Amino acid sequence: MELDSHSIATTLQVLRDPAGIPSHPIVFQVLMIATWVFHILFVNIALGTAGLSLYAFAKRQTPHWERLSIGMTKAAKVSVSMLIVLGVAPLLFTQVIYDPQWYSSNILSGAWAIGFIFTLILGYSSWFTFYFKNHQGASGTVVWWGIIGLAFFLLDGFIMHALSYQALLPDQWMSWYAPNGKVDMSGTHIHAWQAGRFLFFIAMSVTVLGAFLKAYVNYYRVREDYEADYLTFVNRLGTKIILVGVVAQIVTFTWWLADLPASFHAFSSPLALAIFAILILLCGVSLRQQKVPHVTSYQALAVTVVMAAVIATFRELLRMQYMLPYGYDIETYKVMEDIPSTALFFLTFIGVGGLVGGFFLTAIYKAGRTQGVYEASPTVNKLANSAIGIMIVWVGIFFMVGIFTWVSNTL
Amino acid sequence: MLDTLGLYPTWYVPTIGTAWVMGIIGTIHVLASHTSVGASWLFALIETKSVTENKPELMEYIKKYGVFLLVFSYIIGSITGPGIWYAITVASPRGVGGLIHNFVWVWAAEWVYFTVEVIGVYALVYLIGKIDPRTHLKLTWVFALASWATMLLIVGILSFMMWPGNKSWYDTGSTLDAFFNLNFFAHLGLRTAFMFAIAGAVGGILAATMKDKNVRIEITRFLSKMGLAGVFLGMIMWMWYVQTLPSNAKIIMQTQLPGYIAPTLFAVLGATLVYFSWTAWKPMQLKQGFAIAMTAIIAIAGLWPEERSRESIRKPYVAGQYIYSNQTIARDVPGKQIKSNLPLIAEKGILATHPFVPESLRHVTAANRLQAGEFITKVMCANCHSMGATGLRPMIQKLHGSTDVAQIKAYLSGALYNGLVPYMPRIPLPDKEQELVAEYLASLSQKSSHLQTIALATKGE
Repeated sequence: MELDSHSIATTLQVLRDPAGIPSHPIVFQVLMIATWVFHILFVNIALGTAGLSLYAFAKRQTPHWERLSIGMTKAAKVSVSMLIVLGVAPLLFTQVIYDPQWYSSNILSGAWAIGFIFTLILGYSSWFTFYFKNHQGASGTVVWWGIIGLAFFLLDGFIMHALSYQALLPDQWMSWYAPNGKVDMSGTHIHAWQAGRFLFFIAMSVTVLGAFLKAYVNYYRVREDYEADYLTFVNRLGTKIILVGVVAQIVTFTWWLADLPASFHAFSSPLALAIFAILILLCGVSLRQQKVPHVTSYQALAVTVVMAAVIATFRELLRMQYMLPYGYDIETYKVMEDIPSTALFFLTFIGVGGLVGGFFLTAIYKAGRTQGVYEASPTVNKLANSAIGIMIVWVGIFFMVGIFTWVSNTL
Repeated sequence: MLDTLGLYPTWYVPTIGTAWVMGIIGTIHVLASHTSVGASWLFALIETKSVTENKPELMEYIKKYGVFLLVFSYIIGSITGPGIWYAITVASPRGVGGLIHNFVWVWAAEWVYFTVEVIGVYALVYLIGKIDPRTHLKLTWVFALASWATMLLIVGILSFMMWPGNKSWYDTGSTLDAFFNLNFFAHLGLRTAFMFAIAGAVGGILAATMKDKNVRIEITRFLSKMGLAGVFLGMIMWMWYVQTLPSNAKIIMQTQLPGYIAPTLFAVLGATLVYFSWTAWKPMQLKQGFAIAMTAIIAIAGLWPEERSRESIRKPYVAGQYIYSNQTIARDVPGKQIKSNLPLIAEKGILATHPFVPESLRHVTAANRLQAGEFITKVMCANCHSMGATGLRPMIQKLHGSTDVAQIKAYLSGALYNGLVPYMPRIPLPDKEQELVAEYLASLSQKSSHLQTIALATKGE
């Protein structure tokens, strides 16, 4: 049983939260796209490094492969942490402007949405076990921890894909909720997915992995304990992996576009063409770099960041096109401007994100490139003091505003 | 459009209900996150001691606890954090939607802290011995403050779920008025106290494994003092917290919570005091199994009933005393231009206004009466009540197994229609829908007694 466009439009309107939103919808849309870029890149790095660590583990008789397997296991471990934390922001902003779509999709597959949490815990725990056990001379059986971990990560990726895709199909929600008129509140079904779209993001993990490897080489090239042989081996591998990834992405992207409704004219979309262009560019650069395996840089990683940004924008454009027949336009969301809380976020983002995040990342970056103990430079020391300062100021202002508001409202 | 309510589909979980799904994930998260925040302060204090008293051997403990935290708090805690969103989404989408739309910028600010916290924990653990001690100490203090900031930001949202505590927010719609509600500071104090206590208990699991005897004694005593301070502060804050609760919460606490909860919580409190006093007195007697057992006791017998009670005493609301657990908006909020759903429900009922009613149920016939009644009942009641014979506040038990449609309908049209039961939502269904719900509820008891008869007959054979 399907609903007509008018009923769906009405439903989507009434499902919007009656409290409205505290800033202009475009602000949330931009933040949603921007934060998703970093989320998906860490998803790609996590899946890519996890896959490579298992592959390298199988070839661990060769010292380079063994070392790479151990390194990639660690990289995947950190990347999963990062993808989770960076996934929170786009999830938050999606709920702000696309709450009807996201909530409906989740409820209709409620058991899977909750299953996602527990399977991610199992997968990540399994990966941590693999990380603890994957050291020099590790026995072959430990790889099962890694395989189980990666299998759960892929399952979770698929669940997220399905929940996102189902959110785009409001005309089918009713037929999923009440197939043949009989209401099914169990939430035990995944109702829709799009293989081309899902596989495109898996293929993107291959490309991003290649770029990550090249960045890894560039980062460690200053360390004497990272021999040139090993780094050249990884750099060469990175280039090859990018080439494989780019081809896979071109194929799956074509598949994804072909699956889209004809009314979208997806193949002639400027953003789709830009994605093809970036992939071809990446392919060309990689072919050129194949000839100079000792030259290292962050270039490829920078290109993948641009690629992810264009894909994120394209993905949002698609969502807008999917919503067009139902007149769902985020710009019509009721705005109830709230300046203090808006200021809270942006000042925290700039002040705390900049100084505290900057201090942590600089310390990690500098220490990681130093053999032995890193002595903080005057600049890093200043950054550390500023980070402490901003935290004290932030907590102080928080309590001053809090006490003032509380006393004003209570007494 | 005016005749349609903003109600989402329902996810029905037999027996435990969606409330328990939320409760289970929430409790796991509280355990992991509070341990993490408490541990960050523990690290900062111990590391200060290590640097100022030149005791680098203490850093070994921080490293151990840090790695443990990575697994315990940063796998389980960081996944169950968004997990709570997922759980509330599928259990009470209107509730989470209301919170998100009131507090999006607060949550976004918390996300900034969450991000730097995750980067920070890796930096803290892996840079021990790889960066000069003074810079590392600064890093640890920044990490502790950032971790606590995540608590500062989330507590305002959680306490708003209980109630704003005054009429300001309803009039202004201001996030500040909602966030710094009456309940806020007491709640913050309570959670801050708990984070010290739980970090002290979990810390014992690692302290017991320290090989250097002096370090072990010093750390264990430190943990004990921190734990005791947490417990005493917690008791004071609890007394304040109770004073800041709404009247419906106090009534539920006195009359509706299971009888075992208060004695269990007092027993856990007593056990925790004895545990920390003992380990302060005889630190070498602290064994790992003992610390694990204490942590488990606090989690299972302390935290779970406490979190469950906190969820329960908020009833019938899920947020700000304006959204009921069953998704309906219970009152006007002029500051946000929000209108109550209740007048429309009273006028037209659920079947005519719920956007996810299948066409076959829009028109009630003799053949679909039971399904229509089931639909309305699950939408309005399943968030808090199991439709089975057992589980979360089972309907059959609540109605004392009544199969009398008229009697059930009298309750629906009286106390429930007018909102006279403090812990129940006001559900002003029109007469014909009261009839359908009453018939369905009666059928549950009929089915249950029929099954009992069959079971007895089978036993008799």
